[in-house]
Amino acid sequence: MHFIAGSNSQKKTFMMQVPGDIQVIKEDNVTHSFCGLACVGWMYQKIKDSFFLILGTHTCAHFLQNALGMMIFAKPRFGIALMEEGDLSKQEPSLQDIISEIKADHHPSVIFLLSSCTPEVMKVDFKGLAHLLSTEDVPVLFVPASGLVYNFTQAEDSVLSALVPFCPQAPAGQKSVVFLGSVNDVTADDLRAEAEALGIAVGGFLPESRFDKMPAIGPDTVLAPIQPYLSRVAVKLSRERGCSVLHSLFPFGPDGTRAFWEDLAREFGITVDLRDREKAAWEKIRNQTALLKGKKVFLTADTMMELPLARFLHSAGADVVECSSAYINKKFHARELVALDGVRVVEQPNFHRQLEDVRRIRPDLIITSLMTANPFVGNGFVVKWSMEFMLMSIHSWSGVITLANMFVSPLQRRSKLPAFDREVWLEGVMPSAE
Amino acid sequence: MRLAFWLYEGTALHGISRVTNSMKGVHTVYHAPQGDDYITATYTMLERTPQFPGLSISVVRGRDLAQGVSRLPATLQQVDHHYSPELIVIAPSCSTALLQEDLHQLAAHSGLPQEKILVYALNPFRVSENEAADGLFTELVKRFAVAQEKTARPSVNLLGFTSLGFHLRANLTSLRRMLQTLGITVNVVAPWGAGIDDLRKLPAAWLNIAPYREIGTTAAEYLAETFDMPALYEAPIGVEPTLAWLRSVIGKLNAAGAERGVPPIVMPQLSAFSLDGLSAPSGVPWFARTADMESFSNKRAFVFGDATHTVALVKFLRDELGMKIIGAGTYLERHADWVRKELEGYLPGALIVTDKFQDVAKIIDDEMPDLVCGTQMERHSCRKLDVPCMVVCPPTHIENHLLGYYPFFGFDGADVIADRVYLSCKLGLEKHLIDFFGDAGLEYEEHEASLSSEESAPAPSGSNGQAAAEVAVTPADGEMKWSDEAETMLKKVPFFVRKKVRKNTENFALERGESMVSVEVFRQAKESLGG
Repeated sequence: MHFIAGSNSQKKTFMMQVPGDIQVIKEDNVTHSFCGLACVGWMYQKIKDSFFLILGTHTCAHFLQNALGMMIFAKPRFGIALMEEGDLSKQEPSLQDIISEIKADHHPSVIFLLSSCTPEVMKVDFKGLAHLLSTEDVPVLFVPASGLVYNFTQAEDSVLSALVPFCPQAPAGQKSVVFLGSVNDVTADDLRAEAEALGIAVGGFLPESRFDKMPAIGPDTVLAPIQPYLSRVAVKLSRERGCSVLHSLFPFGPDGTRAFWEDLAREFGITVDLRDREKAAWEKIRNQTALLKGKKVFLTADTMMELPLARFLHSAGADVVECSSAYINKKFHARELVALDGVRVVEQPNFHRQLEDVRRIRPDLIITSLMTANPFVGNGFVVKWSMEFMLMSIHSWSGVITLANMFVSPLQRRSKLPAFDREVWLEGVMPSAE
Repeated sequence: MRLAFWLYEGTALHGISRVTNSMKGVHTVYHAPQGDDYITATYTMLERTPQFPGLSISVVRGRDLAQGVSRLPATLQQVDHHYSPELIVIAPSCSTALLQEDLHQLAAHSGLPQEKILVYALNPFRVSENEAADGLFTELVKRFAVAQEKTARPSVNLLGFTSLGFHLRANLTSLRRMLQTLGITVNVVAPWGAGIDDLRKLPAAWLNIAPYREIGTTAAEYLAETFDMPALYEAPIGVEPTLAWLRSVIGKLNAAGAERGVPPIVMPQLSAFSLDGLSAPSGVPWFARTADMESFSNKRAFVFGDATHTVALVKFLRDELGMKIIGAGTYLERHADWVRKELEGYLPGALIVTDKFQDVAKIIDDEMPDLVCGTQMERHSCRKLDVPCMVVCPPTHIENHLLGYYPFFGFDGADVIADRVYLSCKLGLEKHLIDFFGDAGLEYEEHEASLSSEESAPAPSGSNGQAAAEVAVTPADGEMKWSDEAETMLKKVPFFVRKKVRKNTENFALERGESMVSVEVFRQAKESLGG
């Protein structure tokens, strides 16, 4: 048994080299964030004829019902195959009855079987299990999602990877873009219209809203990632289908959106100059950027959207004092890292160290998880929930104002509230802290 | 293995952190994979804690396991450095419990003094939230409570008050108010707001008050055995139980006072307990006797939840509001015997004990009670059925962490509960009018109710009165068919009992072997069922 040294002293951290000599500091991952199972929260709503089955324990069930605020709707399309003590001694879990129950009650077109920590420690053969449970009508697809390996948003990557065999093969010569990442229908329509206006043929989205409608992907598909946490499926598709992957900025903010569309158009041999469009977009959020200018912003690691968000803030003139993220892929995130030149970027940060830095630097705004937001407020800071960025339409041109407002509104709101004497108004709120 | 959608109790880990999050100078370290500290969000969001909860995770990654690496010692050092706790509780999660590591030995590698560390390694597959919380609290009391002089004046400890408890703050306020009125000092409240020093001085009190069956009773029993401290286990919920509770507190303290030559506590005028000091301490006794509450004697109530509140609410509804109890039960099998004994003579049938909310929903669906007292899940089940429901026990929801003073304990609590019952149920005279005149233009309420419900069932077309008769009735598979005329007749039944009448009529028709509810069948059903 070896021990990982604490990060009380900075010498324990090490640097990762990325193109352009951007340095990423890597720490020991003592963070507050969710595991991959969290992806069920939006994926089951996105793929409307699906069922998400987690082979897990009481902990997984309690997490889903509590932390994500998910109660049971009329007919929830997710559930836990609950491992109890007696199941621990069994060689392989028997899920046949549960699968039959799900099929009878929900008639899904596809069942995603998500792994969790306990069965992974038990070395359950998930691939074999999924294969065994699959039928021609209703495939059961293995989705690695446990907190032993995956963070918050990363299991979406696993879900999309599992869907790859169900994307038809697009013939060579069929040149079109497939957008990679789940977004709501409004955003999807918007991206599609924008691409078509630029003369780019749209092959679809991975994922589409229905299992039988997944997009065709082939050697002349250009895969355009629109969420920053999907590196594995991008690699898998380029390897298996020979498609190309767009390496650009993610389409957030005027700067990211312009780069995204210009680079995508270039893949199609189309030259567009979106300088004016970008300028107009910045002009639209002039009031917001005026407020953000010079403001110190700190991003703690949570959703893995931190890099593009920090890059937008950086471009908008904010002083990003730290951008940390649970996982940084030096190739997939290369352009964002280059754009973040000069910003302190940390992978797998240590929350205790961040807390000390926050107290020292006194940022004007902290983008942070549900778990840590209110305590930061209690310590006198202004915060924004990181998770909110996943639930709002902030993509492309039409998302620019929303995106900018999300950073600005907590600052404005705070300035409107009356002065706050913490000694008076926090008394007795948390007796354990007094 | 079974398919689960919602579980009543949280995990052992949750129970552990509810205790330590309540306390000063105590920090929990989860030895667990990424995300197992999701519980932190429940404290920071529901209780809106302005400080970081004393809870850190020492992340176990798959790669660490493969390489035989542990970061627990480093995390312990960091936690010690950054938070300087007096005690660190180390708890494994369900997955790391399987690794069968020696957490004591791992913790020792941190170099922290042994007495600063408590490894609380329960079997998470066997022990759930309440048992873990009660167990850890008892463990802490055992570890720190020391024999000492009693306080000079009569004093009590309030035990079992725990982070995320149901209306915890308001209940504490209500008890404090009553104790203050009697001139009784509160020695320690624990675990809520208590530090290690407070646990040390627990035995200085004259009496332990442990009103929650789920958390705190075991510690009170230990203190009774070890330090010969008397204990009071009843929950003062309802007016009569509160009076009995006050007499009990006074009796026990006076018995202890007599030995010490301290003058006895005298029960004051009851108005001394009221909020203004001038009135009856509760409005419930008069309220229950007023004419419009007469209709409550026919109201059928169903209660389901934890142990403490299930017992208290059944007694309150029947004894103090004169309602009819049609059934009750608990999610907590561990406390079922106690609940059964407490409710002897109160229930028409056996106590229902299940951990499956679907079973409870089915009973509610079959019985269509006039009032359900339950958990958030029953509230949810009832909303689908349009059955009035009030939430009476944990797990708490953001709606149970309101800013106002809504205790369940004491005289103040009796008023709060009675108000909630009154507002939840359909009212008295209003109900008669509606029964007599039918819908009387109230159909819009049904329409609104269906819009606000979370089910995406299509809104009933009956909101357009004229069109009602022409609506084609297309029941789902396996459901009883209704003729158009019978359906029109059903529409004349007030909307809030319509579902119940529909169900009863269909059952009647099924028993008769009918394949369809005709006007004739409906009339016969009305006659035979007395609707």
